[in-house]
Amino acid sequence: MHLLQPDLHSRRAFLKRSGQLALSGTALPFALNLAAMGEAAAFNAPAGDYKALVCIFLYGGNDYGNTVVPYDNASYDLYSTIRGGGPARSAGGIALGQSALAPTLLGPLSAPLDSLSVSRQFALNPGMTALAGLFNSGQAAVQLNVGTLVKPLTRVQYNSADHVSYPRPPQLFSHNDQQSIWQSSSPEGSTIGWGGSMADLALSLNTAATFSCMSVTGNAVFLSGNQALQYQVSTGGAIKINAAVAGASVYGSSAVGAAMNSLLQQKRSHILENEYNKVSTRALAAEGVVTSALAAAPPTTVFATDSLAQQLKMVARLIKGRTVLGARRQVFLVSMGGFDLHDNLIRDHGPLLAKVSDAMTAFHAATVEMGIAKQVTAFTASDFGRTLASNGDGADHGWGSHHFVVGGAVKGQQFYGTAPPVSVADTKDAGGNYLPQNQWHVGQGRLLPSTSVDQYAATLAKWFGVSASEMAGVLPSIGNFGGTGYPVDLGFMA
Amino acid sequence: MQDAKGNSAISRPESDEVSWSGPGIAALASTALAACGGGAGGAPTAVIPGAAVTLNTSGYTQLSSVTDAQASRFLLQAQFSASDTEIAAVKAQGYAPWIQTQVATASGTLGWDWLNAQGYGDVNNSANYYDNSYPGDYMVWSQLMAAPDAARKRMALALSEIFVVSLVGLNFNWRSHAAAHYWDTLNSHAFGNYRDLLGAITLNVAMGYYLNVKGSRKADGRGTQPDENYAREVMQLFSVGLVLLNPDGSPQLDGSGNKIDTYGASDVSMLAQVFTGYDLDMSGNVNTVIAQTGGGTRTISSTDFARLPMLQVGNYHSTVDSTFLGITVPGTATPVEGLKLALDRLFNHQNTAPFISKQLIQRLVTSNPSPAYVARVAAVFANNGAGVRGSLAHVYAAILLDDEARGTAGLSDPQFGKLREPMLRLVQWGRTFGATSASGSWKMGDLSNAGTQLGQSPLRSPTVFNFFRPGYVPPATALGLGAVAPEFQLVNESSVGGYLNFLQSVIQNGLNSGDIKSAYANELALVTDSAALLKRISLLLCADQLSAANQTLIVNALNAMPFASNAQQLNRVYAAVLLVMASAEYLVQK
Repeated sequence: MHLLQPDLHSRRAFLKRSGQLALSGTALPFALNLAAMGEAAAFNAPAGDYKALVCIFLYGGNDYGNTVVPYDNASYDLYSTIRGGGPARSAGGIALGQSALAPTLLGPLSAPLDSLSVSRQFALNPGMTALAGLFNSGQAAVQLNVGTLVKPLTRVQYNSADHVSYPRPPQLFSHNDQQSIWQSSSPEGSTIGWGGSMADLALSLNTAATFSCMSVTGNAVFLSGNQALQYQVSTGGAIKINAAVAGASVYGSSAVGAAMNSLLQQKRSHILENEYNKVSTRALAAEGVVTSALAAAPPTTVFATDSLAQQLKMVARLIKGRTVLGARRQVFLVSMGGFDLHDNLIRDHGPLLAKVSDAMTAFHAATVEMGIAKQVTAFTASDFGRTLASNGDGADHGWGSHHFVVGGAVKGQQFYGTAPPVSVADTKDAGGNYLPQNQWHVGQGRLLPSTSVDQYAATLAKWFGVSASEMAGVLPSIGNFGGTGYPVDLGFMA
Repeated sequence: MQDAKGNSAISRPESDEVSWSGPGIAALASTALAACGGGAGGAPTAVIPGAAVTLNTSGYTQLSSVTDAQASRFLLQAQFSASDTEIAAVKAQGYAPWIQTQVATASGTLGWDWLNAQGYGDVNNSANYYDNSYPGDYMVWSQLMAAPDAARKRMALALSEIFVVSLVGLNFNWRSHAAAHYWDTLNSHAFGNYRDLLGAITLNVAMGYYLNVKGSRKADGRGTQPDENYAREVMQLFSVGLVLLNPDGSPQLDGSGNKIDTYGASDVSMLAQVFTGYDLDMSGNVNTVIAQTGGGTRTISSTDFARLPMLQVGNYHSTVDSTFLGITVPGTATPVEGLKLALDRLFNHQNTAPFISKQLIQRLVTSNPSPAYVARVAAVFANNGAGVRGSLAHVYAAILLDDEARGTAGLSDPQFGKLREPMLRLVQWGRTFGATSASGSWKMGDLSNAGTQLGQSPLRSPTVFNFFRPGYVPPATALGLGAVAPEFQLVNESSVGGYLNFLQSVIQNGLNSGDIKSAYANELALVTDSAALLKRISLLLCADQLSAANQTLIVNALNAMPFASNAQQLNRVYAAVLLVMASAEYLVQK
C-alpha cells in the first residue's frame, strides 16, 4: 500500500478483537494470535538466547543541529552563519562554538559523505562526552537524517500537490501525531505500535506474555501489540496495592481487604469500568513476580539521579531479573521530555543531552557488567528534528533528525544514512531545480529525511528476530522502501 | 537553587527581564506598590463578579430532578461534589435556575490575592518564593477544594485542560504569581465569552513564557524567523484543531475519504508574524536588590508584571503582509488591529464551535458524545439564543441540560460516561466530607507522582497537550471503532496502585500531616447502620450508581468490622469511603 491509512492498525486489530471482554493480560484468544497461525515459526530465536530492545523517546522534538554538529570548517561555517554564531567560529545566537566541540569530535572508521559526496566531520553536543566515547570505542552508531516517511520523497515531490503519488506522513510538525507515527506508523488514536508488534511475534518465547513489553514511563502506543501490552513499572519497582493483596488488613479489617481484592478484579459490563479493572487485575497478578525479579542486587554501575537515568536503571534491573520474569524477548520504553526548545535552546539543550548521554552510557555499562551487552540494544527516537534556522533563541518544529544506537551488537564508530548539506536556502538553478545543497530540507533547514523510521525500525527488528516475511506485519509501509538509497537493513547491527 | 520539594528552580537574574524594557522603569508611588506586593492587609482583594444570564431551555425534556440520585448526578457533572443542601436546592429549583444561580455567584478570593495573603509575595523572604512553583500548587488546590463558586471553578479547570499553561514549564521569577493570574484569567472568563478568553490568554504573561509569545520578534533579515510555537498551538489546541470539522464534530472528508487539514506550515509561519513584538509590561515594576550569600546581588522585580497584559516593547513587530486561514493581515496594520483580525478569524472559523464544545462535553459528561449532542452544544456556542457567539455560560448550560447528559439512557449504555480524573477524585473527597485546611495554608503540593500519589496535579500538565489527549484510545479494549477514552492515558499498573495507596492514607490521615482532614461528622452519625452509611456515600460520591450486588458486597465487609469505640467507628467510615472510591462503578462517572 502507498498511503498511510490513519487507522490501519486500529481497524485490523478492532476486527480481530471485537466482542472480546476477556480479563486476561492479553488481548486475543490464543487461537487468533500470529504464533498459532504459524508465522512465529519464521521468527529468529536460537534456543536459549535473550534479546532486548530499549527505546529512549525524547519528547518534544530533539534539535539535530546542536546534537550532531557540523565540525569540519566548511560545514561549521555554514552552520554558524545560519545559527547566528560569533566571529572566529565562536558561539553566538544558537550556534555552539567550534572549540567547545573538539572534546566530543567523532572519529568514525570511515568519514561520512554527505549527499553532495563531500567528506564531513561531526562532533556531538559538548554535553555528550560519554556518548562520544562510546561512539569512538565502537559501541555506538549515529543514524543520520531519519524521520517519518510513507515512501521516499524528494523536495520537489514534497512540494507537489499530488499527494497520491507523493504521500506525506499525516500531520507533519504536530507533536502528538508525529510521536504516534514514530511509534506506530499511524497518527494520534493509533493503538498498535511496532514495539508491541515485534513482541507479538516472540510472545511464545516468554513464559508470561505480560512481561514482553515493559514501560518505565507514561502510556505510549509503542509497546502495544495485538496481544502484547505495555506493562508499566515505576522507577521504584512494581507498585503493590496495599489494600488488595491477599490477606490485606485495611483499617484493621481483613474483610475490607478481601472486598477490595474482589472489587478491583471484577468483570464489568460497562466497557470503561471493565478496562480499568483489567489494569488493576494485571497489576495485582504481576506485582509479586516483578518484585521478585527485582530482588537481586542491582548492577553496581552508578546511574545519575535524573528521571531518564533512573528509568534506565530500572530497565537494567528488570533485564537482570529476566529469568524470574521468564522472558527471552523484551521491548522496553523509557523517555525524557523537554526537547521542544522554541526558546532557550542554548540554555536548556546541553543539560538535557548530557543526561541522555550519561544515562545511555551508564545503561550500556550495566549491560557489560551483566555480561549481556551484545544482547541489548538501545536506540533514541523523537517526534521530529527542528529547524536549522533560529527564531532568536530557539528553533521550531522540524522533521528529519539524527539518532543514536548503542549496544554490544551495534557496528559502532560509524555513521549510517546520508548527512544532509548544511542549508536553509530555497534557491534554484536557472532550470528551476533546487540547487543540490538545498534538496534535503523543506524550508528553514527542516530536514527532509533520507532514511525512514520504517527502515530504522526494520533494522532493529531484524536483529530482534523478526524475519523478512514478518516485517510488513510490524511495519506496514516497509514495502515502500528497499530501493536504491533506502535499504531495509541499514547495516548498523551485527 | 532548589525549591522546598528539591526541584531545581533555575532562575535568571532579574536584570535579564528588565534591561531591554523600552520605556524604562517608571517611578511609581511606592506605598501603593508596597501594599500590593507586600502581603496581608494591603490592597483590597477583588472578586470575579457573577452575571445574570437567561438560559434557553426549549428542546430539553429533563429539566428537573425527581430523585436525589438525579440531582446528585447533575451536581457531579456540573461541579466537583454533591451535598445534602445542594441536592435539595437542585430538586427545589430545577437545573436551569440552579445553573443561573451559579453563573450569578461571585467568586471568592482570587488566586493572586490568596498568594499575597499567605505571604508568598514577600520578595525578602529567604525562601525565595519568586523562584518556586509550590505556592502555585497550594493556591490552586485551595481554590479547587474551598472556593465558594464551585461551578465556575469546575469550568475553569476544564478550560485549563484545553488552554494549557503548566507550572512544569514556567521558569522565571514570580512563576507562581503568574500561574495564579493565569488561573484567575480562566476564571474571569469561564462564564464569559470565548473570544475575550482567547484575547486575554494570548497576551497573558504565563502563556507568553509558556508558548513563547514573549520576546518573539519579526525576522531580522539575517535568517531568524518569528517563534512559531503559539501560532501553531493556538490553532491546533485552542481554537480550530488539525482537521476541518462538521458542526457535529465529525471530520470532513474529501472526495477520496481523507480528512482535510485545517492549516498548513505556511499558515503557522504567517500567523506567527501577528504575535511578534510583545514582551512584559514593566511599567509598574519596582526592583528589590537582594544580597546573595557568598557575595553579589540579585535584582528581583516586583510581581506586577505577572498580571499585566504583554505589550509591544521596542520595534520588533512584523510589518510583512501575513496571509493565513484565508485572510490577510496587512503589514501596515497596527499590532492591535492585527491581533484582532487574527483572533477574530480563529473565533469565527467553522471548526471552533464543535472543536471546543466537544472537548468541554468530554471533560464534564462523557468521552464519546453522540454527534447530535455535539451539534446541539456547538449550535449554542455559535449562537446563545440572543445572537451572541461564544457565550461559555450558555455552552456550559447546554452541556448539562442536554437529554444525553440528563436522561437515563446513559446509565445503561456500556460506553457512556468518562473515567474520573485523579485530581477530581481528590477534590470530590475533600468537598464531600468537608475537609478543610486548619491552618488555611492548603499545602497539598504537587501530587503528580503516579506510583505514590495521584499521577496528576492541577496546573501541572506535562506539556501543552494536557494530561491526556482528547483522541486517546487505550490499547486492546472493547471500545467501538472510533471511540476514545482520554483519561485512560493516565491509567497503568503503577497509577492504579499509586492512587489506591495514596487514597487509603488520605482518607484516614488527611494531607499535610493532618492539617487538611475530614471529621466525617455526617457519616459517623450513620455508622451503626452499614447499609445506610453506604447508601449515603454512594449517593454523594457516585449518584447512587453502585450496583445492588456491590452495595451488598461492601456492606457485608463493613458489617464484619466492630463499631464500638470512636476509633472503630472511624475505621468503618474510612473503609466505606475507600471501598466506594476504589470501585469501578465510582471511578467511571455516568
